[in-house]
This record gives sequence, structure tokens and C-alpha cells, in this order.
Amino acid sequence: MTKKYKFLFVKLITALFILNGCSNSTKFASENKDPFEKINRNVFQFNKYVDQEIISPVSKTYVKKIPAKIRTGVSNHLQWMDTPSTIINSALQTDMENTMLASAKFLLNGLTLGFYDLDKGETVIKKRDFGSTLAWLNVSEGPFLMVPFIGPKTTRDFTGTIIDKQNMATLSTNSLDDLNLAEIPINIIDKRGKMSKTIDNIYLSADPYIKIRSFYLQNRRNEIYSEKYIENKNNNLDAEFEKFLD
Amino acid sequence: MQSLKSFWIRKKISKFLSHTFLIFVIFNVNIAKSFSDDLRMGESTIQQMIIEAQKHAIDTIKLEPNERSLKIELLIKKYINLDFMSKATTGTFWKKSSEKQREMYKTALLKQIVLTIEEHLNTLANLSYKPTKSEKRGEKLIYVKGLIQDPNKKKPDVNLLWKLAANKNGSVLILDLEIEGISLVSSQKAEALSILRKNRGNFDILLNKMTKDK
Repeated sequence: MTKKYKFLFVKLITALFILNGCSNSTKFASENKDPFEKINRNVFQFNKYVDQEIISPVSKTYVKKIPAKIRTGVSNHLQWMDTPSTIINSALQTDMENTMLASAKFLLNGLTLGFYDLDKGETVIKKRDFGSTLAWLNVSEGPFLMVPFIGPKTTRDFTGTIIDKQNMATLSTNSLDDLNLAEIPINIIDKRGKMSKTIDNIYLSADPYIKIRSFYLQNRRNEIYSEKYIENKNNNLDAEFEKFLD
Repeated sequence: MQSLKSFWIRKKISKFLSHTFLIFVIFNVNIAKSFSDDLRMGESTIQQMIIEAQKHAIDTIKLEPNERSLKIELLIKKYINLDFMSKATTGTFWKKSSEKQREMYKTALLKQIVLTIEEHLNTLANLSYKPTKSEKRGEKLIYVKGLIQDPNKKKPDVNLLWKLAANKNGSVLILDLEIEGISLVSSQKAEALSILRKNRGNFDILLNKMTKDK
């Protein structure tokens, strides 16, 4: 696909989602909005197989053989590479404080190409991606998806991921394919190494697919929605809890 | 005569008003006191549990995995309301289950909670807990919020929210824990209800799935 067509494709998806948001008033989808459950479960089985056969052994070796300091450096670098996305999306969401903080941190850590966190975790920036920008624009969450190799996403967040990668490819001198070839596998191994026990425990649960869906949706909604959403969610849960306490 | 009567009425009214005011003050002070007592109890329950968990993490590190799990199980049992958690995670299906199935479910649920706690126990020993806010919600619930922090700032802060309520004996127990917005009860509920609905409320199938390979 040429760059012109790729850009057109991304524009088309964005337009579709914005229109979807305009027509849909149910911003907070229920956890059970999973019309593709059957396909998702098959993809989950495939991902689990790939994880157990390839990713998990590689990440275990990575954690065992590579010193912690180097692993932290790689992890910092990957986070630093994601910062431009946070800067752009914070600006789009008119969160100027986060835009400024992220820009300052990006420039400062740029001196070490992001391998060393020069402000030693003092500046806390909120991670923002295009999925969160779409949520800010009231685009509905859409059905839950289990994406091959990538894992759990909502339709909105998956679109956001594609657009973020496209933006990064436009900003960088490398092509999108080159970027993905280098960044995605390292990112997956790094994240798998950090979440090793959590993922292994999920596989031990009664229904790992539902557990992963629940974890992902709760965490994502907590990350991107406002205080009002969290308060609303807590009020509903409180009413339910009081009922069971009687 | 007239002035004596009006003086008597005024005296009565002022007595009535002062009594009303006194009742109002006592009532409000008691409510505020019971609210702050509940909050204090909630906060101290969590503080005590964190201290015990950190001590456990260090004391049990050299034990065999099974022995360690057993010790953690005893610790958790002391602080959580397992009856509530079991009811809240199975919803209407709880009423339809037998006494034996309920007991088996409680045991399986406790094992899952132990597994989750064990996963973070070793790291907890090197981290610090900082309470941030507590609030009374509705008639019975208490929210205690806190942060797990790395003193060396190598790991990002982890937001915790404990939901507690007093049981019939008056002791405050944990109903739910949210780690970075992920609720233990909500995720277990999603899982249990999905299995129960697919199997027409068959509790035995849920129990089989929960205890497989463990």
C-alpha cells in the first residue's frame, strides 16, 4: 500500500468513528458488548499458543540473561518513543499541562535517546493515545476485539493504535513497516517480562478469555474516562454491594 | 397579668428552642463521631493488614510454596468478607446453589485471591504504602484509598482502593480491592456469571473449572 492510500484509509476510519460517536449516545458500553466472542475466543487461543510457545520462553530468557539495568534502559527507551503520541494526543484533548510536561520530559530524556530517565520519575505524565482522543471526542467504545499478536482491544482503541503508528511513521524518517519490525517484538517481550506472573495466573483461571477481557476493559476505562465516569461506576457498584450486605 | 403571661410563653418557647438545639447538636455530633469512627476503623484495618502482609512476605520467603500459601490464606481470611464476595460474584445463582456447593465455591475463591496476593507479595516487602483518602459511602460502605510506592522511584505508583464494611460482629472487613481501577469482585463476577449462564446455572461446572489443574 502506498503512503497516499494508507493516509486515505486512516482518514476514512477516523471519519467513520467520529460519525459513529455522533450517532451513538451510549458512551459507556457494558462489559458484555462482545458480538464477536466466538471469533475472539479462537484468536485468544491462537495468541495463547504463540505466547506459551514463543513469547513467554523468550521473555523468560530475556529477564534471566539480561541485567536489570539494561532491561530498565530498554523499557525507558520504549516509553520515550511513545511520548510523541502522548504529546500530540494531550494537545488534541486540550490538556496543555500534560502536553508541556510530556514535551519537557521528551526533550530532556532525548539527550540519552530515552535510555536513561534523567528526571528519575519525578515528572508524572498521563499516557495518552489516539484511542483516548477518540473517547474524548465521545466516540463510542465499540465491540471488544481480540487482535492476533497484539491482544485485547476495543474497536475504538484498535483504530487509535493504527492511527498512532501511522502518525509516528509520518513523523519519523523510517517507514511504518521498519518501525513495527523493530519496536513491536521488543515491546511485547518487555511487557511480557514485566507481567509474567499476572499472565500466567490469568491462564490458570476458570475462563482466561473472560478474565483478560474484564481486566482490559476495566483498566482502559479507568485510564481514559473522567472522574465523573468513575464516580458513576462506583455509585452503581455501591448500590449492588449494599444489596448483598443486607 | 398580661406581661406575666407573655413572659411565661417566652420562657416556654426559649426552653423548647434550646432543647431542640441541644438534641440537634447531640444527634449531629453522634453521627459525625460514628462516621469518623468507621473511617478510622477502616483505615486502621488496612494499615494493620499491610504491616502483617509485609511481615509475612519476609517471614515466609524460605517456606515451601504450599506452606507459604497456607499462611497467606490464614492472613487473608482474617481481613476479607468471604461470604459477601461469594454472593456478590455469583449474583442470583448463589440462592440456587446447595450448601455444599457454596462451601466449595468459597474455598475455590479464597485460593484465587491467595494466588493474586502471592503474585505481588515479594515485591510488597520492598515497597511502601501511603494512605491518601478515606470516605464513607452510603449507609454501610467505607472507601480507603492508598498508593503503593517504590522508595527508589524505579517503579510507578500503584493506586489502590479498598472497599470495606462492618459485619454483624462490628469488625470492619474488606469487600473488594481495586488495583489501578481493576476490581477483584467485578472481574471474578464477569468470569463466574459467564460460565454459569452458558451452563444454565450449573454450579458444579463452575466449580470444576475453578479447581482444574490447581
